[in-house]
Amino acid sequence: MKRFSQKHLLGIKDLTREDIELVFETADNFKAIINRPIKKVPSLRDVTIANIFFENSTRTRISFELAQKRLSADVINFSASSSSVSKGETLVDTVKNILSMKVDMVVMRHPAPGACLFLAKHINAQIINAGDGTHEHPTQALLDAYSIREKLGSVKGKKVVIVGDITHSRVALSNIFCLQKLGAEVMVCGPTTLIPKHIASLGVKIEHDLMKALQWCDVANMLRIQLERQEIKYFPSLREYSMLFGLNKEKLQKLNKEIVIMHPGPINRGVEITSDVADSKHSIILDQVENGVATRMAIMYLLAGSSPQ
Amino acid sequence: MKLVILNAIVCDPQSAMHGKKCDLLISSGIIDDIQPSAKKVFEKSSTKSWDVKGALLSPGWFDMRASLREPGMEHKENLESGALAAAAGGFTRVACLPDTDPTLQTKADIEFIYRKSEDLPVHLLPYGAITKNREGTELNELYDMHLAGAIAFTDANKCLMHAGIMMRAMQYAANFGGILLSHAQDQHLATGGRMHEGAMSVNLGLKGIPNIAEEVIVARDIELARYVNTPLHFSHISSKGSVELIRKARKQGLQITADVSVASLVFTDENLHDFNSNYKVLPPLRGKADQKALWDGVADGTIDCIVSDHQPEDTEHKAVEFEYAAYGMIQLQTAYSLLNMFKPKQLDNGMLIKALSINPRKILKQKAVSITKGASAEITIFNPTATWEYHAASNLSKSVNNPVMSQTLTGKVLGIINKDQLIKNI
Repeated sequence: MKRFSQKHLLGIKDLTREDIELVFETADNFKAIINRPIKKVPSLRDVTIANIFFENSTRTRISFELAQKRLSADVINFSASSSSVSKGETLVDTVKNILSMKVDMVVMRHPAPGACLFLAKHINAQIINAGDGTHEHPTQALLDAYSIREKLGSVKGKKVVIVGDITHSRVALSNIFCLQKLGAEVMVCGPTTLIPKHIASLGVKIEHDLMKALQWCDVANMLRIQLERQEIKYFPSLREYSMLFGLNKEKLQKLNKEIVIMHPGPINRGVEITSDVADSKHSIILDQVENGVATRMAIMYLLAGSSPQ
Repeated sequence: MKLVILNAIVCDPQSAMHGKKCDLLISSGIIDDIQPSAKKVFEKSSTKSWDVKGALLSPGWFDMRASLREPGMEHKENLESGALAAAAGGFTRVACLPDTDPTLQTKADIEFIYRKSEDLPVHLLPYGAITKNREGTELNELYDMHLAGAIAFTDANKCLMHAGIMMRAMQYAANFGGILLSHAQDQHLATGGRMHEGAMSVNLGLKGIPNIAEEVIVARDIELARYVNTPLHFSHISSKGSVELIRKARKQGLQITADVSVASLVFTDENLHDFNSNYKVLPPLRGKADQKALWDGVADGTIDCIVSDHQPEDTEHKAVEFEYAAYGMIQLQTAYSLLNMFKPKQLDNGMLIKALSINPRKILKQKAVSITKGASAEITIFNPTATWEYHAASNLSKSVNNPVMSQTLTGKVLGIINKDQLIKNI
């Protein structure tokens, strides 16, 4: 039987193509299961998982929790505002406290890049990164690639453009790593102020004209504008952003082909994407959400199996 | 104290004995005599002798940039622990930064450092802050501090963003021969940055501090120095562009000098691949091309000095998420070993001694020290091929934030002679 190569899921960076394909094959099975009348399996019975969220999250946390419950794991949820030296208890202390209650696996979201790797060096449990600042969001990238594979048959050779705030996006970085490992071509598109100067070092194409990017791609992944992550202004107004980089029906109709529209959610309707596009037949936004549960079940199932304990 | 040093190879480009194997007779803090093979003669005058077996002997090293954390953060370092680490690292003099709490910014603050360090084996020479609380808005009483012995003026790791205040500080200090140090990092261009902007910062999802953040201030301050016609020293420059700007300014005859930190010479941004906060420093560790340009700058004299940029931080500020970790690494004790291990082959020990000993004294207008008969005995003895273990027990700093902790290092300081004392490393 194939085994997952990692003890933790810290980032797509650490995974091999085989790992990703194994996640997909496993997710196929779970997707079939969660569409049956009895959606629950006993795979993770007696495994305790803590969902520790230092940043607000609704959909990722619910998706993880649902995946855990469908696998029969015991779940505890912990939310806190970001911890730091100045704000009292340190991250390691917080997590060690929770682990003293015999927790096997930690799903963590944290505002600081590298926080999950930092934690993995200091504690014993298995860690799943549910987003570490502007670094990685591996389960999002896996479910996105899984959704492309489901819609288009495979990821290999497909052209995917990621549109929006690349600088502050962990979804972009993990997606780039994941899609490239699976053989897709990746382009980033957005205002120059929101694209890291050295992004080409990752082997991606760069485009600042949305129409050209759409013309090129098979799939457009429209990122959320994350004003909460921007400490200074990178563009004058959401209105202008939307004029330049927002996707609407008019722009789609100008294309001489059909493309797949994705969005990691939550959508700012009317900013990066208009309602008529988000709700159109091109959009696979809700499939992404459904696939999120299956992919996360697959990840936790595989990690539990790869665990040395 | 009387002491005979036997079989030392003099490493002092200023001395006629440079490169020669000699014996030295030291008495009451003076090099009484220096000659090849004078063991028998010298040992008649002193019972205490030390055969250094072909180790190198140079004028005592002078560190132009270290934070010793006293007053205010004595749990990270104090003058005594800093001085002991410096002595073990081969330094006989250390210029200490005013980034203390309170800031060193009055005559009394400067006198405090001198008084408190009187009996320490290393001379500690305080810098005074240019502006009040290093906030960049109001000039301190620079002249009063100068009279009290402030060796020069700097706001440490805070860039003086207001060009007008920077210019007036340069003009004002020049009245009495005061020297200004510029820490170049434009805070607006560096906003949100935690490391060098490059392929590695993209890979780690961290916002970068671009080279241009340093270069615009280097360019600005060179133009200010040209306009007001005063000398100016740039502290710990890190980018290739800065080296080029300074090289050009010097060719044009401006009195511009510069130093570089050990960290910038021996590490790059690639060391940050796993978010190890011990590599989080200011200026940030830059790319390979910058690193090469810095070494080239040292080799051709564009960069005058190499500094430890010793920044002690406690575990509570380092063993946290990278984003929240404090900047800085300790380097006083390991500076020489790392330079020795990482320096390009064409850079000989004589050039290293210029950067570690001779040039800092010139720039800060301190008395020159040389290995010649009659000179004061301020000496560092070191062996480039000997190895030693750097670990928690041999570390003399109160802090442990050094990425080469628990490693074997090549290039060992055997001891210093300073203040009429011999301090041997075991």
